[in-house]
Amino acid sequence: MREQLEVLRHEALQAIASASSQDSLQDVRIRFLGRKGELTALMKGLGSLSVEERPVVGQLVNTIRDEIESVLESALSAAREQAKAERLQSEHIDVTLPGRRAQFGTKHPITQVIEEVSDIFAGLGFSVAEGPEIEHDWYNFEALNFPPEHPARDMQDTFFVDNSLLLRTHTSPVQIRTMLKKKPPLRIIAPGTVYRCDSDATHSPMFHQIEGLMVDKSVSFSDLKGILTIFTNQLFGQKTGVRLRPSFFPFTEPSAEVDIACVICGGKGCRVCKQSGWLEILGAGMVDPEVYRHVNYDADNISGFAFGMGIERIAMLKYGISDMRLLFENDVRFLRQF
Amino acid sequence: MKVTSNWLKEFVDFDLSPEQLADLLTMLGLEMEGMELQGAGMDDVVVALVEEKRQHPNADKLSLCRINNGSEVLDVVCGAQNFKVGDTVVLAQIGAVLPGDFRIKRSKIRGEESCGMLCSEKELGLADESAGIMVLPGGFKLGTPVFEALGLKDIFLEIGLTPNRADCLSVLGVAREIAAKLGVRIKTTYKPVIEGTTAVEDVIGVTVKDADLCPRYAARHITGSRIAPSPAWLVKRLNAVGVRSVNNVVDVTNLVMMELGQPLHAFDCDHLAEQRIVVRRSTEGELFTTLDGQQRTLVAGDLVICDGEQPVALAGIMGGLNSEISDATSSILLESAWFKPSAIRTTSKRLGLHTESSHRFERGTDIDGVTRALDRAASLIVELAGGTVSRGILDIYPVKTEPASIVLRPERANALIGIDLPRAEIVDILRRLEFVVTESDDGSLEVFAPSYRIDIEREIDLVEEIARLNGFDRIPTTMPTAMVVSDRPSAHQRLERVVRDVLVAHGMNEVINFSFTTPDAADKLMLSVDDPRRSVIRLVNPLIDEQSVMRTSLLPGLLETVSRNVCFRSLDLKLFEMRRVYMPIKDAEMPREPIFVTGVLTGQRDREDWSHARAAIDFFDAKGIVENLLELLNIPAVRWVSDTPEQYYHPGKSCSIMAGKERIGSIGEIHPTVQESFGLEKPVYCFELDFEKLVVQSRQKRTISAPSRFPDSTRDIALLVSDGVSAESIVSSVRGVKAQEIEQVEIFDLYCGAGIPEGHKSIAVRIRYRSYDRTLTDEEIAGLHAKVVDNLVNKVKVSIR
Repeated sequence: MREQLEVLRHEALQAIASASSQDSLQDVRIRFLGRKGELTALMKGLGSLSVEERPVVGQLVNTIRDEIESVLESALSAAREQAKAERLQSEHIDVTLPGRRAQFGTKHPITQVIEEVSDIFAGLGFSVAEGPEIEHDWYNFEALNFPPEHPARDMQDTFFVDNSLLLRTHTSPVQIRTMLKKKPPLRIIAPGTVYRCDSDATHSPMFHQIEGLMVDKSVSFSDLKGILTIFTNQLFGQKTGVRLRPSFFPFTEPSAEVDIACVICGGKGCRVCKQSGWLEILGAGMVDPEVYRHVNYDADNISGFAFGMGIERIAMLKYGISDMRLLFENDVRFLRQF
Repeated sequence: MKVTSNWLKEFVDFDLSPEQLADLLTMLGLEMEGMELQGAGMDDVVVALVEEKRQHPNADKLSLCRINNGSEVLDVVCGAQNFKVGDTVVLAQIGAVLPGDFRIKRSKIRGEESCGMLCSEKELGLADESAGIMVLPGGFKLGTPVFEALGLKDIFLEIGLTPNRADCLSVLGVAREIAAKLGVRIKTTYKPVIEGTTAVEDVIGVTVKDADLCPRYAARHITGSRIAPSPAWLVKRLNAVGVRSVNNVVDVTNLVMMELGQPLHAFDCDHLAEQRIVVRRSTEGELFTTLDGQQRTLVAGDLVICDGEQPVALAGIMGGLNSEISDATSSILLESAWFKPSAIRTTSKRLGLHTESSHRFERGTDIDGVTRALDRAASLIVELAGGTVSRGILDIYPVKTEPASIVLRPERANALIGIDLPRAEIVDILRRLEFVVTESDDGSLEVFAPSYRIDIEREIDLVEEIARLNGFDRIPTTMPTAMVVSDRPSAHQRLERVVRDVLVAHGMNEVINFSFTTPDAADKLMLSVDDPRRSVIRLVNPLIDEQSVMRTSLLPGLLETVSRNVCFRSLDLKLFEMRRVYMPIKDAEMPREPIFVTGVLTGQRDREDWSHARAAIDFFDAKGIVENLLELLNIPAVRWVSDTPEQYYHPGKSCSIMAGKERIGSIGEIHPTVQESFGLEKPVYCFELDFEKLVVQSRQKRTISAPSRFPDSTRDIALLVSDGVSAESIVSSVRGVKAQEIEQVEIFDLYCGAGIPEGHKSIAVRIRYRSYDRTLTDEEIAGLHAKVVDNLVNKVKVSIR
């Protein structure tokens, strides 16, 4: 029996040594260690041995089994490593083929600018207010101190629906609606769609504005300057120069046009800024006392400022768009770039 | 508004570079819109002397000249003949660049060297046409840049004026602003008028019948003048500010208007019946021919200037052909008046007749400057055209306009601007602007504005002047201290962003179409006659008919957008618009402006890809997006009810979208007829959601349950059902078993075709069983599944395959 075991051990180790793959190693395991394997068969012969010999031979069987198992295991492990190495060697893909991309969409650039501007002003404590686009003459003009003969009140400039209703020409009527509803203090912005009878490369009959209004006990022009400086710096970059220069609007006094240093040339002068180095982006001013009178505010005990900007203008500057009509043609080749 | 630097300098002394001048005016609120430097970069064009002139050996029409430029004598070839040896001429030396980017180079002309060019006025940009070269009078230092020598260096400024600054519609007005800013005085240089002996009232008469529209009318009379072309300096000066030269007298009236802002009119006095002026309102239908030759029909109330018989001028707008200054004129009536701005505006607008004169009158001129302008013009006319000014002015000014008193509180001004100017400085600023200021005991100031500042009426107007003159750039940058907590965005505002974000995440591109559309949009959508979307708001004055009604649906615009994109071969489109529509409300003045969310999809589902076959977009792509959107908005009890919701859908491939009992929208394939009328070849799928209803239905609160920690078990069933049985009825039948252990029910296959009887389909359902509190045994699952199958077979009438 001992000799038989020794032969079997020898055969097994040889079989392992000559096995070339994981599969043939598995075959070796089955042949020697399997339930019907050779070693198992020998084990069954243990019963015929004497009581003295049985434990000794049993011990030997176990030793041989452990040895075969251990050699087999390391051979298997080596074979696995080799197979892995071969696989890694043989497999490769063309990584330059395009990936499987889920298609993403885009928000319209006008929406993006409105959201960006609204977010900046939210950070400055301004809430969003809204108003109708089909508006009363009173809110759009009268209450904003436009005299009856003002050219903006012409059919040449304003779309009319009937004698008293028109398509609002600016977002400023939202100021009036807000002040009639609420008492100071208030800080609002009002993004929205507005309309004027105008159509060419730089004018669209429909366009967008964002209005701002702040009224409280002692708001000053210097505060307006502060708010607008922060806003323009956040929108166009921390170092953007800002300039306020005197201007005129019926519903503010003092009034200002707000220029930023040209974002194209950095203020040196170029075609976009007409060599001036400045780009006009906002109209602003202190709310005119006449406007307070229309909304029953006491002009002597409060003060405030208002400002308004064209969204298209900002979008065109931010994205370098030269023709406003592109914004409303909705060509997906244009829209997908945003 | 155009002015020139040299003209300004006749009224105010300043030493500013062109850039400084432009900046100073801009920061005063007179925006610089354009600036042109005359004579800039022309220093190589100098005064020179012709020392020799002989025939060019190789060209009959050219001469060879020796030209002395003060430091050397140069050979120059010249083609002009209008000069001789000893003439002072203009030499453009090598390196000079003439207008039109014409660079002077050393050259050989027909074999002869030429070191420069003798220039004509045209070549220097000083005239439109010129015959021969420019020959100067003697006395100039040779080598001096010619623009400097002739005093032609100038800056032409174009100023964009805001409508409130009528006072700046003149050289004097702009000069006043510069003077105020620099703190210097305006120079007044006019000499008094030299008058003859005949008294003006002995020659002409003036009657103002409607003094409400003409509070002041002044006239002078000049006799014996000769009408002739204006001298060159006057023509150039007028050209520089954009006015065309007519003759010496008319040019003087225009020059004075540009200089002082007071429009004047000169009548040929011999053509005035009865030698008199009557200012009155016109009568209805009165005819009048203005000096542009146009016959105008007046309405009652237009202000006209008449002679003893008929109108001779449209007050403040344009004179008449019947009394205009002609070559034969010798007796002149010169008018200077103040007309009511609204009267001039009304007539000018109605007639579509806008002139330099009406432009100033309708904005408001200086009532106290009326006679000064008259005197200035009379002096100049005599100077240029000769003649004698009759003694005195006829000045009809019955009620003198007194300046109003305005109270200014310096502390209020400082607080509003956010500065801290001492009272004395505020007073100084106002006085520099020629305001009359008296200080009151209570600390306030009593201020009177000069007569030309018609825009100053209230304290706030003075505050603006202080801010402006002190300088907007000197106002500090502060942050408001007011305590305001901004409101949280409303649900409406927040959900607007959610909807856009979700749709964009699903590959959709947002578009923005015009709010106005074509009147036949409803027809193109095949809307039924009583559809509320047929009642639209019409614009009174649309730009074009295609933009004449306010839209009641976003769909036509989107289909147009699809069509336009398809034209450009963008065939795979997923577009949405989220904007207002405009619905009139019966018996209400203001319409409703609800927001709709509308999406359109067409073409292929995925982008072109090497790894899998593409498939056309269908109804379920659109539905999938909406399902996700409604789930993210947390809208409960959503149902898809096939009820042919709209005329513009394919009746078999469309449905209403319900949230409980509320119809929140619709979805479907666009009806082939509608598709055709928008010129589309491929099917288009569409969804429309009423955003206002989504906001109402959206639940803020979400209940979240912890996932089960026990294993699941799935069972598949293949069902054979007739075509009429909906997927929803199968799923709800399974759900109807109401066992907590049914975690998920999915339709995972749909098949009809070979092997399936006609009128039937095969549907495969996968059910996942799982319990929250234990591992389900095979028996438990078998029991549940048997119930499910039983329900399907008995209640939905399916057979198990």
